Amino acid sequence: MNWLIEWAGYLPQLMSGLGVSLMIAGVSIVAGYPLGLVLSVMVQHRNLAVRTLGLAVVEIGRGAPALVILYLFYYGLPKFGIAFESITAACLALIWNSAAYSSEIMRAGMQSVARGQHEASAALGLSRGHTFFRVIMPQGMRSAIPGLMGVAIQMFQGTSLAYAIAVPELMKSAYNIGSQDFNYLQIFALAGICYAAISMPATWITVYFEKRLARHT
Amino acid sequence: MTLSEIANGKLAPRTGIRLDNISKRYGDHLVIDDVSLNVEPGTVTALIGPSGAGKSTFLRCINLLERPDSGTIQVDHHTIEPGKVINAKDLAALRRTVGMVFQSFNLFPHMSALKNISFPQQKVLGRSKEEADERALQLLERVGLKDKAHQHPGRCSGGQQQRIAIARALALDPSIMLFDEPTSALDPEVGLEVLAVMRELADDGMTMIVVTHEMQFARDVSDTLVVMADCKIIEQGDPRAIMSDPQEDRTRRFLRAVLER
Repeated sequence: MNWLIEWAGYLPQLMSGLGVSLMIAGVSIVAGYPLGLVLSVMVQHRNLAVRTLGLAVVEIGRGAPALVILYLFYYGLPKFGIAFESITAACLALIWNSAAYSSEIMRAGMQSVARGQHEASAALGLSRGHTFFRVIMPQGMRSAIPGLMGVAIQMFQGTSLAYAIAVPELMKSAYNIGSQDFNYLQIFALAGICYAAISMPATWITVYFEKRLARHT
Repeated sequence: MTLSEIANGKLAPRTGIRLDNISKRYGDHLVIDDVSLNVEPGTVTALIGPSGAGKSTFLRCINLLERPDSGTIQVDHHTIEPGKVINAKDLAALRRTVGMVFQSFNLFPHMSALKNISFPQQKVLGRSKEEADERALQLLERVGLKDKAHQHPGRCSGGQQQRIAIARALALDPSIMLFDEPTSALDPEVGLEVLAVMRELADDGMTMIVVTHEMQFARDVSDTLVVMADCKIIEQGDPRAIMSDPQEDRTRRFLRAVLER
Protein backbone atom coordinates (compact mmCIF):
# COMPACT_ATOMS: atom_id res chain seq x y z
CA MET A 1 0.00 0.00 0.00
CA ASN A 2 3.02 2.22 0.13
CA TRP A 3 2.70 3.35 -3.45
CA LEU A 4 -0.81 4.55 -2.82
CA ILE A 5 0.41 6.85 -0.10
CA GLU A 6 3.17 8.04 -2.40
CA TRP A 7 0.66 8.76 -5.10
CA ALA A 8 -1.48 10.71 -2.72
CA GLY A 9 1.58 12.80 -1.91
CA TYR A 10 2.12 13.61 -5.57
CA LEU A 11 -1.45 14.59 -6.19
CA PRO A 12 -1.47 18.25 -5.07
CA GLN A 13 1.35 19.15 -7.43
CA LEU A 14 -0.19 17.10 -10.24
CA MET A 15 -3.56 18.73 -9.66
CA SER A 16 -2.12 22.20 -10.07
CA GLY A 17 -0.54 21.00 -13.33
CA LEU A 18 -3.85 19.54 -14.41
CA GLY A 19 -5.48 22.88 -13.66
CA VAL A 20 -3.03 24.66 -15.94
CA SER A 21 -3.61 22.06 -18.67
CA LEU A 22 -7.37 22.49 -18.44
CA MET A 23 -6.99 26.24 -18.51
CA ILE A 24 -4.88 26.13 -21.69
CA ALA A 25 -7.30 23.69 -23.31
CA GLY A 26 -10.22 25.88 -22.28
CA VAL A 27 -8.66 29.01 -23.75
CA SER A 28 -7.72 27.25 -26.98
CA ILE A 29 -11.30 26.06 -27.38
CA VAL A 30 -13.14 29.18 -26.26
CA ALA A 31 -11.01 31.39 -28.51
CA GLY A 32 -10.24 28.81 -31.20
CA TYR A 33 -13.75 27.70 -32.11
CA PRO A 34 -15.16 31.14 -32.91
CA LEU A 35 -12.02 31.75 -34.94
CA GLY A 36 -12.60 28.37 -36.58
CA LEU A 37 -16.10 29.47 -37.50
CA VAL A 38 -14.72 32.61 -39.13
CA LEU A 39 -12.15 30.51 -41.00
CA SER A 40 -14.79 28.04 -42.17
CA VAL A 41 -16.78 30.94 -43.61
CA MET A 42 -13.66 32.37 -45.26
CA VAL A 43 -12.79 29.03 -46.84
CA GLN A 44 -16.23 28.88 -48.45
CA HIS A 45 -16.19 32.53 -49.50
CA ARG A 46 -16.80 33.59 -53.10
CA ASN A 47 -13.95 36.09 -53.02
CA LEU A 48 -10.71 34.38 -54.04
CA ALA A 49 -8.49 36.53 -51.82
CA VAL A 50 -10.60 35.83 -48.73
CA ARG A 51 -10.74 32.14 -49.57
CA THR A 52 -6.99 31.90 -50.12
CA LEU A 53 -6.19 33.66 -46.86
CA GLY A 54 -8.58 31.37 -44.98
CA LEU A 55 -7.11 28.29 -46.63
CA ALA A 56 -3.57 29.35 -45.81
CA VAL A 57 -4.35 29.82 -42.12
CA VAL A 58 -6.22 26.50 -41.96
CA GLU A 59 -3.67 24.47 -43.88
CA ILE A 60 -0.71 25.78 -41.89
CA GLY A 61 -2.60 25.16 -38.67
CA ARG A 62 -3.39 21.60 -39.68
CA GLY A 63 -0.29 20.86 -41.69
CA ALA A 64 2.39 21.93 -39.24
CA PRO A 65 2.76 19.92 -36.03
CA ALA A 66 1.49 21.88 -33.06
CA LEU A 67 4.95 21.69 -31.54
CA VAL A 68 6.47 23.51 -34.52
CA ILE A 69 3.94 26.32 -34.20
CA LEU A 70 4.53 26.41 -30.48
CA TYR A 71 8.29 26.85 -31.03
CA LEU A 72 7.71 29.47 -33.68
CA PHE A 73 5.65 31.53 -31.27
CA TYR A 74 7.97 31.07 -28.31
CA TYR A 75 11.43 31.03 -29.87
CA GLY A 76 10.79 32.47 -33.32
CA LEU A 77 8.76 35.62 -32.79
CA PRO A 78 11.13 37.29 -30.29
CA LYS A 79 13.39 37.77 -33.31
CA PHE A 80 10.81 40.33 -34.49
CA GLY A 81 10.64 41.87 -31.07
CA ILE A 82 7.47 39.98 -30.15
CA ALA A 83 8.03 38.00 -27.00
CA PHE A 84 5.43 36.00 -25.11
CA GLU A 85 5.39 34.36 -21.76
CA SER A 86 5.56 30.61 -22.22
CA ILE A 87 1.95 30.12 -21.22
CA THR A 88 0.75 32.81 -23.65
CA ALA A 89 2.76 31.27 -26.46
CA ALA A 90 1.24 27.88 -25.65
CA CYS A 91 -2.28 29.30 -25.71
CA LEU A 92 -1.72 31.13 -29.00
CA ALA A 93 -0.27 28.07 -30.73
CA LEU A 94 -3.07 25.84 -29.54
CA ILE A 95 -5.70 28.44 -30.47
CA TRP A 96 -4.36 28.33 -34.02
CA ASN A 97 -4.37 24.55 -33.90
CA SER A 98 -7.92 24.28 -32.62
CA ALA A 99 -9.19 26.99 -34.98
CA ALA A 100 -7.73 25.15 -37.96
CA TYR A 101 -9.11 21.74 -37.03
CA SER A 102 -12.49 23.00 -35.85
CA SER A 103 -12.94 25.09 -39.00
CA GLU A 104 -12.65 22.00 -41.18
CA ILE A 105 -15.20 20.15 -39.08
CA MET A 106 -17.58 23.12 -39.26
CA ARG A 107 -17.04 23.44 -43.00
CA ALA A 108 -17.77 19.74 -43.51
CA GLY A 109 -20.88 20.08 -41.35
CA MET A 110 -22.17 23.02 -43.37
CA GLN A 111 -21.42 21.34 -46.67
CA SER A 112 -23.33 18.27 -45.53
CA VAL A 113 -26.55 20.30 -45.26
CA ALA A 114 -28.98 19.01 -47.88
CA ARG A 115 -29.03 20.73 -51.25
CA GLY A 116 -32.76 21.20 -50.90
CA GLN A 117 -32.13 23.69 -48.10
CA HIS A 118 -30.16 25.91 -50.45
CA GLU A 119 -32.81 25.51 -53.14
CA ALA A 120 -35.71 26.32 -50.83
CA SER A 121 -33.88 29.40 -49.59
CA ALA A 122 -33.17 30.55 -53.14
CA ALA A 123 -36.74 29.91 -54.25
CA LEU A 124 -38.03 31.95 -51.30
CA GLY A 125 -35.74 34.80 -52.36
CA LEU A 126 -33.60 34.79 -49.21
CA SER A 127 -30.28 36.58 -49.62
CA ARG A 128 -26.98 34.70 -49.54
CA GLY A 129 -26.28 36.07 -46.08
CA HIS A 130 -29.61 35.04 -44.62
CA THR A 131 -29.37 31.66 -46.29
CA PHE A 132 -25.94 31.06 -44.85
CA PHE A 133 -26.34 32.41 -41.35
CA ARG A 134 -29.96 31.44 -40.68
CA VAL A 135 -30.47 28.26 -42.67
CA ILE A 136 -27.18 26.52 -43.45
CA MET A 137 -25.00 27.40 -40.49
CA PRO A 138 -27.37 26.37 -37.69
CA GLN A 139 -27.88 22.97 -39.31
CA GLY A 140 -24.23 22.51 -40.19
CA MET A 141 -23.07 23.40 -36.69
CA ARG A 142 -25.47 20.88 -35.24
CA SER A 143 -23.94 18.04 -37.18
CA ALA A 144 -20.47 19.36 -36.33
CA ILE A 145 -21.02 19.07 -32.56
CA PRO A 146 -19.61 15.53 -32.06
CA GLY A 147 -16.56 16.35 -34.19
CA LEU A 148 -15.97 19.56 -32.27
CA MET A 149 -16.13 17.67 -29.00
CA GLY A 150 -13.56 15.27 -30.38
CA VAL A 151 -11.24 18.16 -31.23
CA ALA A 152 -11.73 19.51 -27.72
CA ILE A 153 -10.43 16.24 -26.30
CA GLN A 154 -7.47 16.36 -28.67
CA MET A 155 -6.76 19.92 -27.59
CA PHE A 156 -6.72 18.87 -23.96
CA GLN A 157 -4.23 16.12 -24.72
CA GLY A 158 -2.31 18.51 -26.93
CA THR A 159 -1.65 20.78 -23.97
CA SER A 160 1.05 18.29 -22.97
CA LEU A 161 3.17 19.83 -25.75
CA ALA A 162 3.43 23.01 -23.70
CA TYR A 163 5.80 21.02 -21.51
CA ALA A 164 8.40 21.66 -24.21
CA ILE A 165 8.48 25.37 -23.40
CA ALA A 166 8.35 24.85 -19.65
CA VAL A 167 4.72 25.71 -19.03
CA PRO A 168 3.86 24.24 -15.62
CA GLU A 169 1.09 22.02 -16.93
CA LEU A 170 0.38 18.40 -16.07
CA MET A 171 3.33 16.83 -17.93
CA LYS A 172 5.77 19.37 -16.57
CA SER A 173 4.53 18.79 -13.02
CA ALA A 174 4.87 15.05 -13.49
CA TYR A 175 8.39 15.44 -14.83
CA ASN A 176 9.39 17.65 -11.92
CA ILE A 177 8.10 15.16 -9.38
CA GLY A 178 9.72 12.30 -11.24
CA SER A 179 13.11 13.98 -11.34
CA GLN A 180 13.11 14.36 -7.55
CA ASP A 181 13.24 10.64 -6.80
CA PHE A 182 13.47 9.08 -10.27
CA ASN A 183 10.12 7.40 -9.85
CA TYR A 184 9.24 8.10 -13.48
CA LEU A 185 7.20 4.99 -14.14
CA GLN A 186 4.75 5.66 -11.36
CA ILE A 187 4.45 9.37 -11.85
CA PHE A 188 3.92 9.24 -15.60
CA ALA A 189 1.39 6.44 -15.16
CA LEU A 190 -0.41 8.69 -12.71
CA ALA A 191 -0.24 11.60 -15.16
CA GLY A 192 -1.66 9.33 -17.84
CA ILE A 193 -4.50 8.42 -15.52
CA CYS A 194 -5.17 12.13 -14.98
CA TYR A 195 -5.40 12.73 -18.74
CA ALA A 196 -7.62 9.69 -19.15
CA ALA A 197 -9.83 10.73 -16.24
CA ILE A 198 -10.80 13.79 -18.24
CA SER A 199 -10.64 12.43 -21.79
CA MET A 200 -12.57 9.21 -21.33
CA PRO A 201 -15.74 10.68 -19.83
CA ALA A 202 -15.51 13.41 -22.45
CA THR A 203 -15.41 10.72 -25.14
CA TRP A 204 -18.44 9.03 -23.64
CA ILE A 205 -20.32 12.31 -23.70
CA THR A 206 -19.30 12.76 -27.35
CA VAL A 207 -20.63 9.32 -28.25
CA TYR A 208 -23.84 10.12 -26.42
CA PHE A 209 -24.26 13.31 -28.44
CA GLU A 210 -23.47 11.49 -31.67
CA LYS A 211 -26.24 9.01 -30.96
CA ARG A 212 -28.67 11.68 -29.88
CA LEU A 213 -28.09 13.81 -32.96
CA ALA A 214 -28.32 10.80 -35.24
CA ARG A 215 -31.69 10.00 -33.75
CA HIS A 216 -33.17 13.41 -34.44
CA THR A 217 -32.10 13.91 -38.03
CA MET B 1 -61.58 34.06 -46.76
CA THR B 2 -59.95 32.04 -49.44
CA LEU B 3 -56.44 30.71 -49.31
CA SER B 4 -54.96 33.25 -51.67
CA GLU B 5 -56.82 36.11 -50.02
CA ILE B 6 -55.24 35.15 -46.73
CA ALA B 7 -51.92 34.89 -48.45
CA ASN B 8 -52.20 38.25 -50.08
CA GLY B 9 -54.29 40.23 -47.67
CA LYS B 10 -56.21 41.12 -50.78
CA LEU B 11 -56.22 39.33 -54.07
CA ALA B 12 -52.91 39.71 -55.83
CA PRO B 13 -52.94 40.93 -59.41
CA ARG B 14 -53.06 37.84 -61.52
CA THR B 15 -49.91 37.21 -63.39
CA GLY B 16 -49.06 34.86 -66.18
CA ILE B 17 -45.66 33.77 -67.33
CA ARG B 18 -44.18 33.27 -70.75
CA LEU B 19 -41.16 31.16 -71.55
CA ASP B 20 -39.62 31.20 -74.98
CA ASN B 21 -37.09 28.87 -76.52
CA ILE B 22 -35.67 27.59 -73.24
CA SER B 23 -32.72 25.24 -73.68
CA LYS B 24 -30.53 23.67 -71.07
CA ARG B 25 -27.64 21.25 -71.30
CA TYR B 26 -25.36 19.61 -68.78
CA GLY B 27 -22.09 19.37 -70.66
CA ASP B 28 -22.90 17.49 -73.84
CA HIS B 29 -26.17 16.24 -72.49
CA LEU B 30 -29.22 18.15 -73.65
CA VAL B 31 -31.96 18.21 -71.01
CA ILE B 32 -34.32 20.93 -72.28
CA ASP B 33 -34.56 21.33 -76.02
CA ASP B 34 -35.98 24.67 -77.14
CA VAL B 35 -39.15 24.59 -75.04
CA SER B 36 -41.69 27.43 -75.11
CA LEU B 37 -44.70 27.72 -72.85
CA ASN B 38 -47.21 30.45 -72.26
CA VAL B 39 -49.18 30.32 -69.04
CA GLU B 40 -52.22 32.61 -68.87
CA PRO B 41 -52.96 34.43 -65.62
CA GLY B 42 -55.15 32.48 -63.25
CA THR B 43 -54.77 29.14 -65.01
CA VAL B 44 -53.43 25.80 -63.90
CA THR B 45 -50.95 24.03 -66.14
CA ALA B 46 -50.17 20.38 -65.44
CA LEU B 47 -46.87 19.10 -66.74
CA ILE B 48 -46.79 15.35 -67.24
CA GLY B 49 -44.57 12.87 -69.01
CA PRO B 50 -42.18 9.98 -68.46
CA SER B 51 -39.36 10.44 -65.99
CA GLY B 52 -36.25 11.88 -67.55
CA ALA B 53 -38.37 13.94 -69.91
CA GLY B 54 -37.06 17.15 -68.34
CA LYS B 55 -40.25 18.23 -66.57
CA SER B 56 -38.67 19.06 -63.24
CA THR B 57 -35.64 20.67 -64.84
CA PHE B 58 -37.92 22.82 -66.96
CA LEU B 59 -39.94 23.82 -63.90
CA ARG B 60 -36.74 24.71 -62.06
CA CYS B 61 -35.68 26.85 -65.01
CA ILE B 62 -38.74 29.02 -64.47
CA ASN B 63 -37.48 30.48 -61.19
CA LEU B 64 -33.86 30.00 -62.22
CA LEU B 65 -32.97 27.29 -59.73
CA GLU B 66 -31.53 25.83 -62.90
CA ARG B 67 -30.11 28.37 -65.24
CA PRO B 68 -31.11 27.80 -68.87
CA ASP B 69 -28.40 28.30 -71.48
CA SER B 70 -30.71 30.27 -73.72
CA GLY B 71 -34.26 31.56 -74.05
CA THR B 72 -36.30 34.27 -72.39
CA ILE B 73 -38.57 34.38 -69.37
CA GLN B 74 -41.22 37.09 -69.24
CA VAL B 75 -43.10 37.72 -66.05
CA ASP B 76 -44.75 40.84 -64.70
CA HIS B 77 -43.09 43.26 -67.15
CA HIS B 78 -39.69 41.75 -66.44
CA THR B 79 -37.87 40.03 -69.24
CA ILE B 80 -35.00 37.81 -68.21
CA GLU B 81 -32.55 36.29 -70.63
CA PRO B 82 -30.81 33.57 -68.63
CA GLY B 83 -28.17 33.07 -71.33
CA LYS B 84 -26.89 36.55 -70.54
CA VAL B 85 -26.00 38.29 -67.31
CA ILE B 86 -28.97 38.39 -64.96
CA ASN B 87 -29.09 41.41 -62.72
CA ALA B 88 -29.86 40.86 -59.08
CA LYS B 89 -32.97 43.04 -59.20
CA ASP B 90 -34.62 40.96 -61.94
CA LEU B 91 -33.74 37.75 -60.15
CA ALA B 92 -35.19 39.06 -56.89
CA ALA B 93 -38.34 40.21 -58.68
CA LEU B 94 -38.73 36.83 -60.36
CA ARG B 95 -38.28 34.90 -57.11
CA ARG B 96 -40.73 37.24 -55.38
CA THR B 97 -43.39 36.66 -58.01
CA VAL B 98 -42.90 32.92 -58.22
CA GLY B 99 -43.36 30.57 -55.25
CA MET B 100 -42.21 26.98 -55.29
CA VAL B 101 -43.13 23.73 -53.59
CA PHE B 102 -40.72 20.80 -53.72
CA GLN B 103 -41.16 17.05 -53.79
CA SER B 104 -39.06 16.74 -50.65
CA PHE B 105 -40.75 19.70 -48.86
CA ASN B 106 -37.41 21.27 -47.90
CA LEU B 107 -38.71 22.86 -44.74
CA PHE B 108 -36.07 24.26 -42.41
CA PRO B 109 -35.73 21.46 -39.84
CA HIS B 110 -34.33 23.72 -37.11
CA MET B 111 -37.33 26.06 -37.13
CA SER B 112 -40.88 25.52 -35.93
CA ALA B 113 -43.65 25.42 -38.53
CA LEU B 114 -44.57 28.97 -37.58
CA LYS B 115 -41.01 30.20 -37.93
CA ASN B 116 -40.59 28.42 -41.26
CA ILE B 117 -43.41 30.57 -42.57
CA SER B 118 -42.70 33.74 -40.63
CA PHE B 119 -38.92 34.05 -41.04
CA PRO B 120 -38.82 34.40 -44.87
CA GLN B 121 -41.54 37.08 -44.74
CA GLN B 122 -39.43 39.14 -42.35
CA LYS B 123 -36.25 38.77 -44.39
CA VAL B 124 -37.63 38.95 -47.93
CA LEU B 125 -40.56 41.33 -47.53
CA GLY B 126 -39.37 43.21 -44.47
CA ARG B 127 -42.52 42.49 -42.48
CA SER B 128 -42.47 42.91 -38.73
CA LYS B 129 -42.35 39.76 -36.65
CA GLU B 130 -45.88 40.34 -35.36
CA GLU B 131 -47.28 40.81 -38.84
CA ALA B 132 -45.39 37.83 -40.24
CA ASP B 133 -46.42 35.59 -37.35
CA GLU B 134 -50.03 36.59 -37.72
CA ARG B 135 -49.97 35.86 -41.44
CA ALA B 136 -48.26 32.55 -40.76
CA LEU B 137 -50.91 31.54 -38.25
CA GLN B 138 -53.71 32.44 -40.66
CA LEU B 139 -52.14 30.33 -43.36
CA LEU B 140 -51.52 27.43 -41.00
CA GLU B 141 -55.13 27.53 -39.95
CA ARG B 142 -56.21 27.56 -43.54
CA VAL B 143 -54.18 24.44 -44.38
CA GLY B 144 -55.58 22.85 -41.23
CA LEU B 145 -52.38 22.86 -39.18
CA LYS B 146 -52.76 25.63 -36.64
CA ASP B 147 -52.11 23.16 -33.85
CA LYS B 148 -48.72 22.35 -35.40
CA ALA B 149 -47.51 25.96 -35.30
CA HIS B 150 -44.91 25.32 -32.63
CA GLN B 151 -43.85 21.86 -33.76
CA HIS B 152 -40.68 21.32 -35.74
CA PRO B 153 -41.07 19.71 -39.17
CA GLY B 154 -39.49 16.48 -37.92
CA ARG B 155 -42.56 15.97 -35.76
CA CYS B 156 -45.00 16.38 -38.63
CA SER B 157 -46.09 13.79 -41.17
CA GLY B 158 -45.09 14.16 -44.81
CA GLY B 159 -48.49 15.50 -45.78
CA GLN B 160 -48.39 18.01 -42.97
CA GLN B 161 -44.89 19.09 -43.92
CA GLN B 162 -45.94 19.64 -47.51
CA ARG B 163 -48.91 21.73 -46.43
CA ILE B 164 -46.61 23.81 -44.23
CA ALA B 165 -44.31 24.21 -47.24
CA ILE B 166 -47.22 25.45 -49.33
CA ALA B 167 -48.14 27.92 -46.60
CA ARG B 168 -44.51 29.08 -46.46
CA ALA B 169 -44.49 29.81 -50.18
CA LEU B 170 -47.89 31.52 -50.09
CA ALA B 171 -46.86 33.77 -47.23
CA LEU B 172 -44.62 35.70 -49.62
CA ASP B 173 -47.60 36.64 -51.79
CA PRO B 174 -46.48 34.97 -55.00
CA SER B 175 -48.69 35.41 -58.03
CA ILE B 176 -47.47 32.19 -59.62
CA MET B 177 -46.90 28.88 -57.84
CA LEU B 178 -44.68 26.08 -59.09
CA PHE B 179 -45.21 22.57 -57.76
CA ASP B 180 -42.52 19.98 -58.39
CA GLU B 181 -44.15 16.58 -57.88
CA PRO B 182 -45.65 17.74 -54.58
CA THR B 183 -47.23 14.39 -53.74
CA SER B 184 -44.65 11.96 -55.09
CA ALA B 185 -42.98 11.47 -51.72
CA LEU B 186 -46.30 10.86 -49.97
CA ASP B 187 -48.63 7.91 -49.41
CA PRO B 188 -51.57 8.14 -51.80
CA GLU B 189 -53.92 8.81 -48.91
CA VAL B 190 -51.75 11.55 -47.42
CA GLY B 191 -51.24 13.02 -50.87
CA LEU B 192 -54.96 13.74 -50.98
CA GLU B 193 -54.70 16.35 -48.20
CA VAL B 194 -52.06 18.14 -50.21
CA LEU B 195 -54.04 17.90 -53.43
CA ALA B 196 -57.08 19.31 -51.64
CA VAL B 197 -55.09 22.38 -50.64
CA MET B 198 -53.82 22.78 -54.20
CA ARG B 199 -57.29 22.40 -55.61
CA GLU B 200 -58.53 25.16 -53.35
CA LEU B 201 -55.69 27.36 -54.43
CA ALA B 202 -56.55 26.74 -58.06
CA ASP B 203 -60.18 27.61 -57.35
CA ASP B 204 -59.00 30.90 -55.89
CA GLY B 205 -57.44 31.74 -59.23
CA MET B 206 -53.77 31.23 -58.46
CA THR B 207 -51.61 30.77 -61.53
CA MET B 208 -50.06 27.34 -61.09
CA ILE B 209 -47.65 25.10 -62.93
CA VAL B 210 -47.66 21.57 -61.55
CA VAL B 211 -45.30 18.75 -62.45
CA THR B 212 -47.25 15.69 -61.42
CA HIS B 213 -48.06 12.03 -61.88
CA GLU B 214 -51.55 12.53 -60.42
CA MET B 215 -53.65 12.05 -63.55
CA GLN B 216 -56.93 12.62 -61.78
CA PHE B 217 -55.72 15.96 -60.51
CA ALA B 218 -54.35 16.90 -63.92
CA ARG B 219 -57.67 16.06 -65.56
CA ASP B 220 -59.96 17.70 -63.02
CA VAL B 221 -58.02 20.76 -61.98
CA SER B 222 -55.73 21.84 -64.78
CA ASP B 223 -56.78 24.11 -67.61
CA THR B 224 -53.89 23.09 -69.80
CA LEU B 225 -52.15 19.76 -69.97
CA VAL B 226 -48.59 19.79 -71.21
CA VAL B 227 -46.90 16.52 -72.13
CA MET B 228 -43.12 16.44 -72.13
CA ALA B 229 -40.93 13.65 -73.47
CA ASP B 230 -37.32 13.54 -74.58
CA CYS B 231 -36.56 17.10 -73.44
CA LYS B 232 -39.40 18.62 -75.45
CA ILE B 233 -43.08 19.47 -75.19
CA ILE B 234 -44.72 16.98 -77.50
CA GLU B 235 -48.33 17.86 -76.92
CA GLN B 236 -50.39 20.44 -75.08
CA GLY B 237 -54.00 21.46 -74.81
CA ASP B 238 -57.23 20.65 -73.03
CA PRO B 239 -56.53 17.90 -70.48
CA ARG B 240 -59.67 15.87 -71.18
CA ALA B 241 -59.15 16.04 -74.91
CA ILE B 242 -55.55 14.88 -74.66
CA MET B 243 -56.33 12.14 -72.21
CA SER B 244 -59.19 10.73 -74.23
CA ASP B 245 -57.65 11.27 -77.62
CA PRO B 246 -53.89 11.84 -77.61
CA GLN B 247 -52.47 12.92 -80.94
CA GLU B 248 -48.95 11.71 -80.38
CA ASP B 249 -47.96 8.10 -80.18
CA ARG B 250 -45.53 8.86 -77.36
CA THR B 251 -48.33 10.49 -75.33
CA ARG B 252 -50.56 7.49 -75.97
CA ARG B 253 -47.94 5.08 -74.72
CA PHE B 254 -47.26 7.18 -71.63
CA LEU B 255 -50.95 7.61 -70.76
CA ARG B 256 -51.62 3.92 -71.24
CA ALA B 257 -48.79 3.07 -68.89
CA VAL B 258 -50.03 5.50 -66.23
CA LEU B 259 -53.75 4.89 -66.49
CA GLU B 260 -53.57 1.12 -66.64
CA ARG B 261 -51.64 1.00 -63.43
